[in-house]
Amino acid sequence: MALQTDGIVVKNDRIKPFYFLLTIYCPQIANEIETGQFIMLKVSDNHSPILRRPFSVYRSYSVDHPERKKRGCLLILYKKVGKGTQKMTEFKKGRKVNMIGPLGNGFSLPPFPSSPDIILIGGGVGIVSLYSLVQRLGSHELFVFIGGKTKNDILCEKDFKKLIGSKIFIATEDGSLGYKGTVIDLFLSQRKRLGRSKSQYIYSCGPVDMLKELARVVKSKGVVCQVSLEARMGCGFGACWGCVVKTNDPKKPYERVCKEGPVFNLKDIVWE
Amino acid sequence: VNPIRNPDLSVKIGNIKLKNPVMVASGTFGFGEEYEDFIDLNQLGAIIPKGISLKPMIGNPPPRIFETEGGIINSIGLQNPGFQDFIENKLPFYKNIKTHLIINFFGNTRREYIQLAKRFDEVPGISGLEMNISCPNVKRGGMVFGSDPKMAYQLVREVRKATKLTLIIKLSPNVTDIAWVAKSVEEGGADAVSLINTFRAMAVNIHSKKPELGNIVGGLSGPAIKPIALRMVWEVSRRVKIPVIGMGGIMKAEDAIEFILVGASAVQIGSANLVNPRTAIEVIDGIEKYLIKNRINHVQELSGLFKP
Repeated sequence: MALQTDGIVVKNDRIKPFYFLLTIYCPQIANEIETGQFIMLKVSDNHSPILRRPFSVYRSYSVDHPERKKRGCLLILYKKVGKGTQKMTEFKKGRKVNMIGPLGNGFSLPPFPSSPDIILIGGGVGIVSLYSLVQRLGSHELFVFIGGKTKNDILCEKDFKKLIGSKIFIATEDGSLGYKGTVIDLFLSQRKRLGRSKSQYIYSCGPVDMLKELARVVKSKGVVCQVSLEARMGCGFGACWGCVVKTNDPKKPYERVCKEGPVFNLKDIVWE
Repeated sequence: VNPIRNPDLSVKIGNIKLKNPVMVASGTFGFGEEYEDFIDLNQLGAIIPKGISLKPMIGNPPPRIFETEGGIINSIGLQNPGFQDFIENKLPFYKNIKTHLIINFFGNTRREYIQLAKRFDEVPGISGLEMNISCPNVKRGGMVFGSDPKMAYQLVREVRKATKLTLIIKLSPNVTDIAWVAKSVEEGGADAVSLINTFRAMAVNIHSKKPELGNIVGGLSGPAIKPIALRMVWEVSRRVKIPVIGMGGIMKAEDAIEFILVGASAVQIGSANLVNPRTAIEVIDGIEKYLIKNRINHVQELSGLFKP
């Protein structure tokens, strides 16, 4: 069940140029939110901007988390891109933030006891919503592809490095870190060398051009590919039908990113 | 002087007796169930779900929504499951909800409007109909009927014969003289008018040089349009005798009170539902507090208290 409630800003730190890490104390939502779900955040007290902003959650800590300081906190990693996120950079400790969540359908895990190779592909800030999967996947071996325009856009690298048994691949478009090119190019060049399992589970989140490219290259059977989509949203809870995406199902040609998504099967979406 | 403890908030629109003058506007409240997590739906004056057509409609291509200064442009395109699916899958939800259900409907042709009115007339559990002759986002029907007073009059006259339910006509602001259209639908037999629907609007991305909406043009709503909506509600209220339901950018109780002062009998909350799902409830509370503070016994006394 989603709820509308106030959270309290604990911290709001700039971690890199344009990237900020916001910690909000909001036990009701932190306790319930599942991997891949999102929240709608009211970033201003007036109508500028008027609409809430959707954010996936980077980390959430339940109310019984062993570290007392973290209990009931939600972490949002965001990039300053426009008016809404500009306002967010001004959030100070103690500020009340009205939130709606948890919302949407998150990632689903591979059925037990199958053991596919698990591949995460994140572009820019999209990697953040994939990181929330890690807590659920346990000690599964992961292949993690992180892409960005420059080295400043590579996020969560250290987080993934801490995970035992995961292999990390980095691509930047300008070549300032790792492979020079897109993260999809890098994935293609490495694909045959990944893992041993016959089946693959791919989880991806990133700019629409990246996902389009992924849809073009991932066609083979035995691959399950779940993607988390971004969309301009009116409400975030299914009321306005503003955030739809085109699907291959003629019975439901437009589905709501906020309600049926934000996670979809790659093959169900029409990538024009 | 004794303070007024429980002012009477009830109003009558046609044959519908509302417990308070606050409804939620079609297209901004889904089918009602989307709001169940956030508010007690029983407290609302009435619920008006998303507009229904005879056959399902798939809606417009995305992007469908764009934010502007104090406003939202949408081009949803009246996506809806159609009459049959609505009756089977959406209507049962309202069985246990103790507020009025007003059905917003529209047709692509005159015949479809009449047919739909007839069919809804036979469905139990519906308190009234709101006929949309004002959607800016569909090619045929919709606004075509609402922009011509003569066509509006004829359509209302025929739909009037097709249903005994309270008939509200939702008007478009994209006309030269909205009061003239209102007067025409009153003469055609409407029980009430609701206004305004959205203003035709657009936005351009200067980097891609493309429209921000898949449909190029959409409808503008939100606080940006409130002053114009208010002016139109005032003009219409002076010209018609039937109740006027005001809407357009109501974000808080004070906005709603302005609409009532200039002559609205009731109001609808639209875009604000998307931003704050609790808006309608907060507006009801705010109106009640205002009445208490101003020692007014009945919300109906407020209507038209405006002193130009």
